[in-house]
Amino acid sequence: MVTIIDYGVGNLGSIQNMLQRIGVASLVTADPKQVEQAERIILPGIGAFDSAMTKLEQTELPSILRERSAAGIPLLGICLGAQLLTHGSEEGSRPGLGFIDAHCIKFNAQKIGSLKVPQMGWNEVIFQSTNTITDFMDMEIPPRFYFAHSYHMVADQEYVLGLTQYGYNFPTILKKGNILAMQFHPEKSHQYGMQILRNFSVWKP
Amino acid sequence: MRRVRVIPVLLLHNRQLVKTTQFKNPKYIGDGINALKIFNEKGADEVVVLDIDAFNRKEPDFEFIGKLVSECFMPLAYGGGIHTMDQAQRLFALGIEKVVIGACAISQPSLITNLANQYGSQSVVVSIDIKKDWLKRNRAFTENGKKNTGLDPLTYAKQLKELGAGELIVQSIDREGTGKGYDVTILQEISSAISIPVVALGGANSTNDFLKAIVEGGASAVAAGSMFVFKGPHKAVLISYPSPKELKEKLYSHL
Amino acid sequence: MSTKIITCTHCILDTTDDPSIVFDNDGICNYCLDYRQQELHNVPSADLATIKLADTIAAIKKAGEGKRYDSILGLSGGVDSSYLALQAKHWGLRPLIVHFDNGWNSELAVSNIEKTIATLGFDLHTLVIQWEEFRDLQVAFLKASVVDIEMVTDHAITATLYRLALKENIKFILSGTNVVTEAILPPHWIHHKSDYIHIRAIQKKFVGKPFKTYPLWNLRTRVMANLKGIRSVSLLNLIPYNKDEAKREMVAELGWRDYGGKHYESIFTRFYQGYILPTKFKIDKRRAHLATLICSKQLTRQEALAELSKPIYEPELLRMDYDFVLKKLGLTKVEFEKIMSDPVKAHSDYPIETNIYSRYPFLKLARPFWLALKSQLTKRNGHNH
Repeated sequence: MVTIIDYGVGNLGSIQNMLQRIGVASLVTADPKQVEQAERIILPGIGAFDSAMTKLEQTELPSILRERSAAGIPLLGICLGAQLLTHGSEEGSRPGLGFIDAHCIKFNAQKIGSLKVPQMGWNEVIFQSTNTITDFMDMEIPPRFYFAHSYHMVADQEYVLGLTQYGYNFPTILKKGNILAMQFHPEKSHQYGMQILRNFSVWKP
Repeated sequence: MRRVRVIPVLLLHNRQLVKTTQFKNPKYIGDGINALKIFNEKGADEVVVLDIDAFNRKEPDFEFIGKLVSECFMPLAYGGGIHTMDQAQRLFALGIEKVVIGACAISQPSLITNLANQYGSQSVVVSIDIKKDWLKRNRAFTENGKKNTGLDPLTYAKQLKELGAGELIVQSIDREGTGKGYDVTILQEISSAISIPVVALGGANSTNDFLKAIVEGGASAVAAGSMFVFKGPHKAVLISYPSPKELKEKLYSHL
Repeated sequence: MSTKIITCTHCILDTTDDPSIVFDNDGICNYCLDYRQQELHNVPSADLATIKLADTIAAIKKAGEGKRYDSILGLSGGVDSSYLALQAKHWGLRPLIVHFDNGWNSELAVSNIEKTIATLGFDLHTLVIQWEEFRDLQVAFLKASVVDIEMVTDHAITATLYRLALKENIKFILSGTNVVTEAILPPHWIHHKSDYIHIRAIQKKFVGKPFKTYPLWNLRTRVMANLKGIRSVSLLNLIPYNKDEAKREMVAELGWRDYGGKHYESIFTRFYQGYILPTKFKIDKRRAHLATLICSKQLTRQEALAELSKPIYEPELLRMDYDFVLKKLGLTKVEFEKIMSDPVKAHSDYPIETNIYSRYPFLKLARPFWLALKSQLTKRNGHNH
């Protein structure tokens, strides 16, 4: 059972829809008691950093999420949800949850040349190591996913599981122990999204 | 290898899928839910659904949109009758990736800014529908191509970027449904002047048109309607989408 | 009452498929014997078939001289119609390809149709049925609890083909129906596809609105088609038609992709045959199809039994299709499950089309004049058959 956090931000329906399509049970909840019992968590999010962080901090969820992640429960942040797991973003002034040693910066205008910001569209993720999450069976690799963002994560090499190139290389999957941060939208990424979510649903970190 | 999005655009009219030519003479295409299911299985990068008579209604048709979204495992952008933050919020909660603003960009420009602030600019798309006026000048039109805003598209595009729009769909009304190719000139003019992505729409007939729009027109993505729903001399309704191989050979490898 | 199941020693049909099935002294069922008869009448021997095929092709070409198309071919994207299209190209025919879109096309069907017309260079015409109207009619048939829900589509296809033939003045409809893969079908599993009275009656009872766009193959269309000498020819009966070989040929020449089940080009058909029929009506349509293939020697009894041992519906696919079908039809799970548990009704529990002479006895008197008129008209049309 995957628990999808509802804190008033994010594309919950789509994530649940895709999980349902791949036969993974899920529960969308804002109830702290239910999150306390969660065995596997997805933190979604779209939009602006500060606005999302504010909404999240208006609930009891940050401390529960901290407890759950310390307990070793697999936790996946998607898009803005991924960014919230870092220490903070140039987009706003509020600190993030800080579960992963990373922060978020705006795309470097010089380095991307004529490419536009936000990055909107499909792009490849090159895995830096292999594990359950990176298993794409006989699908065509590298896998590609849908991105829609103006800010991206930066972190030390040891946490980088996936890299993407948009003008320059930057991390798009971060992993620290049982915590995963994915910059792209698996729920909008067809077969590739389904596979990575399938992998997440059986992952034993 | 650089990829660009290739985007089918579907028009809704009373919950029915239709296709127009120069914004007129809607022809019935069929059931939207099945059409989206097919595009989804064909691996379409993204789909835009525009409700062409929504501005007559108070609200988007949330129930139906919900059914459409549930068939999409790729981004779905929706446009038609969005004029409040609440409506946008509801759409995002349903799973719509981006909202497409049309007439409201003129009547309520602050909506764009508020949406961008709350949800991020990548979730706000504005469509610029362009037609030549009687003096043969390009002008932006709204309300299904009926109302001339008086604005020249380039000025309008810049305004929209300042307001916070994350992406612009630049559509040529004169070329829509004609298969005569995109208006590359206007695309080039706009894309070279602003830093946000421009999506080309109106007149596409082949992957060649896609290539031109990107290489000569500077578009970041290409969209089409007729090309993906009609086939042959009798304009038979048949949903198609270029295969990954075709896209690689005819488009990506030339970028 | 004996509950012992008796199975045919030749094909695989048994008393559960048709309680009134009978067997001869060798244990061979009436369906196998009936198959022989159908084959005798409709599938000529090789030499005769070649001549008949050549004659028919010549007639089609002659009737199509000076016209843009010489025939009409209904293409569903399935095996029979796709193979027929391929053969039509080899025979040098110029068919207008017609596809009836009832809103249930699978992506595979659409893809196969696209490849077929692109490779063969044929023109396509589609009739896209008004979805809401069609959906309401399908739901009506579901609520009517009658077995042949598919007749709603089959009827519309036929009507579309004939109407278009009338409009375009095309004399020949190329049909993919054939004996060797389809002949066997227990009669209580279907209803006459042409029964427009029945369709109209169910529409009236459960929907209550007249048809706006649904094409009825009504009396007028039939009379006009008859007068104009429009006929349907089943050319697959005139060639050695083997399903597996046909698929191989299509894969090689058209890039055709297999569906994995007969008529699975339509999601509704897949769901109807894989779930509704077995669950509500206790009918497994594969059995009839496999029995036919045994009789036409395309499959051994062993192979057929092996096929039957496979699940009729892959569970994941069933789950997805179940959700999708209910969503499209606008039915809740409760509503649908009620339909599924409602007692089965016979088609004859609702108005059905009876013989025209029993409805209008005076027509018996008019018949000789009718035949004479037809004879005059067909001579004028240069129609020699």
